[in-house]
Parts: sequence; structure tokens; C-alpha cells
Amino acid sequence: MVGYVATEGPLHRAHPLTVLTFGATIAILAFVLRGPWGPVAVFAVALGAAFTERVPGVLKPAAVLALPFWIFLLVIHGLLRSDVATAVTLGARISAILVGFLVVLSAVPPSRLVEALVAKRVPFSAAFLLAATLQAVPRLRERAAAVLEAQRCRGLALRGSVIHRVRAIVPLTVPLVLGALGEVDERALALEARGAGAGRRTPLDPPRDGTMDHLVRWCCAALIVVAIVVRVA
Amino acid sequence: MSAIALKNVAFRYPASPERALDGVDLAVERGEIVLVTGPLGAGCSTLLLLLAGFAPRITSGTRTGTVRVLDTDPGTYDGWRAVVGRIGVLLPTPSTQISGMAFTVRDEVAFGPANLGWEPARIRKEAAAAMERLGVAHLAARDPTTLSGGELQRVILAGLVAMHPSVYLLDEPALELDPEGAALVYELLPTLSEEASVVLATTDVDRAARIAHRAMLLDAGRVVACGTPDAVLGTVRAVALDAAGTVPAVAHAAGCDAPYPLRVPELLARLRP
Amino acid sequence: MSPRLLVLIPLAVGINLAMGQFASAISLPVYLDTVGTILVAALTGLVPALITGLLSQVVTTVVSGNSIWIAFLPVQLYVAAFAAVAARAGAFRGIWRTVGTGLLLGATAALLSWPIAYLAFGGVTATGVTAVTTVLTAIGFPLRWAVLAASASTDLLDKTATVLLVRGLLVALPRRTAARFPLAERALGRA
Repeated sequence: MVGYVATEGPLHRAHPLTVLTFGATIAILAFVLRGPWGPVAVFAVALGAAFTERVPGVLKPAAVLALPFWIFLLVIHGLLRSDVATAVTLGARISAILVGFLVVLSAVPPSRLVEALVAKRVPFSAAFLLAATLQAVPRLRERAAAVLEAQRCRGLALRGSVIHRVRAIVPLTVPLVLGALGEVDERALALEARGAGAGRRTPLDPPRDGTMDHLVRWCCAALIVVAIVVRVA
Repeated sequence: MSAIALKNVAFRYPASPERALDGVDLAVERGEIVLVTGPLGAGCSTLLLLLAGFAPRITSGTRTGTVRVLDTDPGTYDGWRAVVGRIGVLLPTPSTQISGMAFTVRDEVAFGPANLGWEPARIRKEAAAAMERLGVAHLAARDPTTLSGGELQRVILAGLVAMHPSVYLLDEPALELDPEGAALVYELLPTLSEEASVVLATTDVDRAARIAHRAMLLDAGRVVACGTPDAVLGTVRAVALDAAGTVPAVAHAAGCDAPYPLRVPELLARLRP
Repeated sequence: MSPRLLVLIPLAVGINLAMGQFASAISLPVYLDTVGTILVAALTGLVPALITGLLSQVVTTVVSGNSIWIAFLPVQLYVAAFAAVAARAGAFRGIWRTVGTGLLLGATAALLSWPIAYLAFGGVTATGVTAVTTVLTAIGFPLRWAVLAASASTDLLDKTATVLLVRGLLVALPRRTAARFPLAERALGRA
């Protein structure tokens, strides 16, 4: 599954920024460490995290996303260029990043991340934009599906010549976009009237940022620096 | 000092030749509920936008005359900053008023108070009290995007009530509510007016006239009449504009003389010989 | 940031991500995932467009669970910047001018995503584009040129279709809405 999963685990208990740091470390080390063993080791760590967080369910979407990559890698680099080592390096790198990212998503619900940002005195606009975007996307997707249905019922044909199909985009896009634009003033008024951005916002339920969190973040940073130095040297 | 004072206010939207409002005077005291009504396009919503300071600050357009709300001009940036959180605005469609930042109803109600920088304990207390008053406390842990229109509108109103504004500007507040929800909101308005001034723009005159202290009838941006609900709505003009509500319209159709009654018992008394 | 921008940007990101459904429905090799970004660039200018591009890429990554996408953030930002500059210069004035803008944008965007696809991922990214890359490599193209050719062809079509669509939207804006966004007139070369 993709997204937050309510289970137990060290990352679930950690501060959202710590979890993000972990994910970033996985991604950076996957690139910096020399292959194929470096990325493979990072991949193993990411897999381990999936299990300590009790979210083995992320492995399925990770596999689905990674499979096309592996196939192309083995064909392009493995077969056509006879370079299996590169294929394994790139494959492990992508797999590590995918799994690491999905684990991060499973451990941090968006609301907790937004509250953490507010508590860290990130400007209201930034925290708001992140949260509002996460809510706007599913809403507009639903609307797009509704527009598609409605226009189909009106006889909009989506087959035919290329020009015809390209033209069909217009009666789909225009209602979606103009509908959204028409709401801007009302939404802006509602936000304004409720004091959005008026001053410093009180975080409603800020996640705890303990010493362990700070320690882990510093260790990750140190690890990245060491890895870069070793690679460059 | 009136909570709201408008003198000879006119307003025109950008790229629009006609005036949306012209020559409007209005004074509202604390503790008053004023009903603003009129046919479609009369300018009721525009009037609320002006009182909220949204027009012309955000909508652009030209405004003349004086607008004073809570001693400032909310149409200016400085004026707005002075009254943030003290003017509560409720619009007809709940789905466009949702903050977009809250993942639970409790957080949605707390959105306004949190923006105002209140202490966490005070926010919790006021949010809980507001949810009780609007009958949505049982929805506290729900995701706001999963609520029905009626439930959501009450949650939004709870969010305003939690801020304890001094002025409520309500634009068709019960439009999307079921009869029960609408009744609850209208029952609540008199208690809200105890600590604030309420300007209510609605075509639901039947309900609104019962609780309003004063009424103002608009037509094409101009004030047709302003006074007690009986005096403003029980007239031939109001019935002609289809803004009088059901009882006056029936009385008119039944051949009664103006001024028409606003309530059913009075109508029955008139109709019985 | 003004409340209107705070409201407009998430809507534009939502549009970016929702357009994919239309793209699939017409089964053409286009993404149309920058419609929102380019529209915001034409309506409000550079900074909101950059933020829209940034958020779009972040949310696409989060929603798909495919963290690969975030590496292409520079391309999204480039598209936003290009669109803002082009809109200011009245690039949406006529159909042909718009087509030219789209082709230029597509070509330059492809050039920008090329090193990312090649260096970071060895040429293996999105399945459709990568299929083309595979075929080209199999018939003897050096990998780096195969990657470029593959991404260029999709980007040219996609960006041209997108800018034409945005022009159509700008033209179709109701007068009252257009009055709120004075930059739109400039993009259409009317101001």
C-alpha cells in the first residue's frame, strides 16, 4: 500500500523530520556508494526498515514500480551492453530509493508533518500550501472523472484521428479549469476571514522532537558526509 | 459607536459598467440582527463582501462612501489587520470554505483560533464549546472531506463561533442544510447576537424574519426600504420583488390590504371574517 | 502570500495531476501534467508558477510512491520559468506563435531532462519513453542519443499540446475572472 499505515515502529514514533532525514539518507547513499555492493547494502537497510516498521505491505507496490525498471535495465545494460554490474547497481539504487520512500510515507501521516512544520516556525504559507495541495489533488481528480463522465454522456467521442482526439481535450479541460478558477475568490475569502497568515500560528498537536531524534539526524548527516568523502577520495 | 456604519456607499466591480451597490446607508449596533434581502443580483452578497473588506481589497473594483466596521475600514490593508478574527464570514457553499489544512473536524474548528495565535488550552476549550453549540461534537475525529454538506456547514460555523467574533456576516448560511440543520442555525443566531452584531443576507425570509430585529430590502444595488421586518417585508413592493417571504405573498394573493402580516397566525386572523 | 495565491496554487497542482486522466482517455503519448503550472505562470507570474511546479513534482512523487520523479524537479521549475517569461512576452498571442512557444519549450525541456535520465538512471525512467530508448539502443544507437531522442519526441508533442490548451483557457476566461488576473491579457498579447 502507498501512504500512511497506522502501525508501530521506531520511525512511526520518531519526529517527522527524523523520518524524512532517514529517507533522504537512503536516497543519497544509494547514489553515493559505489556499486554494485553499495546500493545493494542500502537496499537491504531499506528492506529492514520495512520490517521494523511492520509495513511489509509496501514491498508489493515497490515491486510493481521497480519491475519495469529491472526489465529495461537487464535488457539495455545487461543484454545489449553486456554490463550486468551496472544493471544491478542501478536496479538496487532504484529499489532502495523506492522502498525507502514508501516506508517514509507509511510512517508519517500528512497532518503530523504539517504540524511539525508549523511547530518549527516554517512560514504559514509553506505549511498551508503543502496541506492544501494534498487535499486539493484527490478533489480535482474526482472532478476530472466527473467531467469525463458528463462529457461522454453528452456524446464526446474519444476515438478517431489524432487531431480529433487532441481537440477532445478542450471540452474536458475547460470545465475543469474554469470551475476551479471560479471558486478562487470564495475560498480566498473564507481563508482570510479565518485569519490565515495573520500572525504566528499555534501548532495544534506538535509531534515531540526528542534527543534521540536529534541524535539520529546528526548521525545520518555524518554518514552522508563520510560517504561523500570516501567516494571522492 | 455603531459596530457597523455605512454612509452613501457605492461599489462597482472591475470591468463592469453598472454599479453593484449605490447610495447604501446602514448602521448596525451590537446585539442586532439585520436581515438583508432582495431579488437575485440585488447586491446582498456584494454588501457582505464590502463589510468583510474583501471588496475592493481582493476583488478590485471602485468603492465610494464610508465603510466603518468595528471602528476601522476593513477594505484597507491596515484596517483589515486590525480586525482579523473579529469579523466572522459564512458563505453558502461549505465545500469552498473548508480550510484545506485540517485533517479532522476538531482541527478544522480550531483552524481560526490557531491562526490567531491563541494558547493551546484556550483553543481546545473554545473549539469544544463551539462544536457543542453547533451539535457537531460527535464528529470531532472525522475527516472534514467526508462530511455531508449540512454537517460541514455547521462545522464551518463552529469554526467561526470559536473565534468569538464581534460581527457575523452570513451569506445564505442554511442554503445547503436540511430543515433540521437550518432550524438549528437560525435558533442559534439570537444567542450569537448577544455578544455580536449579525448581518444576514438570505432569501429564506420566512425563517430569517422571525429572528431579525431589522430588515433591509435591496433592488439593483439600491436600498428600497430599511426598518423593522414588518415594515419592510409586509409591503406591496417587497411582494412584487418576490422578496417578502411566503406569508405576505399569500396575503397579497388572497386580496388582503398592505401592510401584510409576516406570520401565519396573523394571516389566519386577517383571513377569517 | 495573498490568500488568492494560497488558494490558486493548490488548485493548479490539482489540475496538473488530474489532467493525466484526460491524457489516458484520449490514448495519446502526452502527459499534460504542466497545464496548471503554465496557466499559473500566465495568470500570476514567475514565483507562483515555480511553487506550483515544485509542489506538483513533490505531490506526484508522494502520490505515486515512485520517488524517482523528484529527480526531475529541475525540469518542472524550468517549465514554470520559461512559461512565465514567455507569457510576459505575449507568447500566447496567436495560434502559430503559441505552437512555436510549445515546440521551443518541448525541445529545451527535453534537453534538460536528458542528463537526468541518462546520468542518474542510466536511461531507464518512465516506461513509455524507455521503450523507445530500448528500441533505439537495440538498433545500434549509442545510449545517450537514444535517451535524448526518446524524451524529445514526447516532450515536443506534450508541451505544444499543453501551451495550446492554456491559450484556449486564457481566451475562454469569463470577463470578470480575467479582470482579476491582469497578466492574462499580456500573455495573449492584448495589453
